[in-house]
Amino acid sequence: STGLTEDQKEFQKVALDFAAKEMAPYMAEWDEKEIFPVETMRKAAQLGFGGIYVKPDVGGSGLSRLDTSIIFEALSTGCTSTTAYMSIHNMCVWMIDTFGNEEQRHRFCPSLCSMEKFASYCLTEPGSGSDAASLLTSAQRKGDTYILNGSKAFISGGGDTDVYVVMCRTGGPGPKGISCLVLEKGMPGLSFGKKEKKVGWNSQPTRAVIFEDCVVPVSNRLGAEGQGFNIAMQGLNGGRINIASCSLGAAHASVLLAQEHLTVRKQFGEPLASNQFRLADMATRLVAARLMVRNAARALQEGREDAAVLCSMAKLFATDECFGICNQALQMHGGYGYLKDYAVQQFVRDIRVHQILEGTNEVMRMIVARNLLQG
Amino acid sequence: QAIDDDCNQTGQLLAAMLDWPQGTFASRVQLESGGVLVEREVDGGLETLRLRLPAVLTADLRLNEPRYATLPNIMKAKKKPLEVLPAADLGVPAGPPRLKVLQVQEPPPRAGGEKVESVESLLGKLRHAGRI
Repeated sequence: STGLTEDQKEFQKVALDFAAKEMAPYMAEWDEKEIFPVETMRKAAQLGFGGIYVKPDVGGSGLSRLDTSIIFEALSTGCTSTTAYMSIHNMCVWMIDTFGNEEQRHRFCPSLCSMEKFASYCLTEPGSGSDAASLLTSAQRKGDTYILNGSKAFISGGGDTDVYVVMCRTGGPGPKGISCLVLEKGMPGLSFGKKEKKVGWNSQPTRAVIFEDCVVPVSNRLGAEGQGFNIAMQGLNGGRINIASCSLGAAHASVLLAQEHLTVRKQFGEPLASNQFRLADMATRLVAARLMVRNAARALQEGREDAAVLCSMAKLFATDECFGICNQALQMHGGYGYLKDYAVQQFVRDIRVHQILEGTNEVMRMIVARNLLQG
Repeated sequence: QAIDDDCNQTGQLLAAMLDWPQGTFASRVQLESGGVLVEREVDGGLETLRLRLPAVLTADLRLNEPRYATLPNIMKAKKKPLEVLPAADLGVPAGPPRLKVLQVQEPPPRAGGEKVESVESLLGKLRHAGRI
């Protein structure tokens, strides 16, 4: 918490308290039973965590990207998987808040900020992950509706959430032909695949989202036709900071667990003090990762030119480093680290996917390289 | 119990001045018709009192869980007006202090115990010390 303002320290405190009392005691159960903790998330939304960087006039908390990063990092110490879903939800609400017209903002955002309704972000398809701009889901204009056909894969919250922010093709190939539509569960032609069985992120369901002649009113389109890819990418800039922040929280919690274990566990007649250098490395890398993430958050908030690149660098660095930290923490627990009775293995499993989604770390490298070679 | 001098007086003084019943160190409060049931934390355990209203109650930390501050409230806190009232406005003299600290001392160090050979011996010693 060094370098934070008084307000930010307060936010962090609320989030840490909430994480410790309302999330940490349940994270193992949510993981084992694959429970989507709707009530707990709604409690969090009552504190303002449902639309952290969404404007207050539609129910958001109007905070900065840095405030958001601090909050997600803190919540993540309680349950990384649930916090990661909350960050996706927040990203969707922001997209509607920022690119929606007044009618759309007031129609969707208030119930999303309170988490009366939940949201999902739908970009990836079975045939297009990293190559997101090649997506195939088509939206044919027909009068004042679009008819959607296609499917999305790996959608967090899919099937359990109410509002779907869907990137689909209204025009020609490539990014310029993509638009962003907001769908609601219950629309005819909208269905879901089976719930995926995952290594981690088990407190959020993941399903395919299927569109079969799904009718969506034109008044559900965010922004202009052809603007969808841009909206998706702008959402992801913030999303990357958020996911990186979740990794930070998991790593922080894991370092504390490792620290505790090292003082308690004795071998050869002494506590495991010889690992202190490894612990020091872990702590150092955590601080470095945290600084990258917070710096990127500031850049994004200020709308700086290099913001998108910094977000990619921060996501790449933090998710990789934090996975290493959690993994080391598990190693330090020895055999116990491998048991599900110990929380450290869940942090490892939960953040492994952060190196893959919201843009694989390979795609992050592509973005940074392109920026270097162009500039 | 005030966090500055730990005197544990204010609630009790107020009750005496108002001539109202008091339930201090309350860990559970239940309203009944015409009165209030107060469960108090005392040294030996819990004591339950039935008080008629109005009454003065003071809270023990076991009474409630503090609420979480909400993000909007944290931000509004800075903007809330902070009204400064001089003591004279309330008709209260600001000084001189009415409490004078005469002495502060540590409790006496724990005296050693004693091992006895038989139950009779133990009972004899307890009686002698006026404990039973």
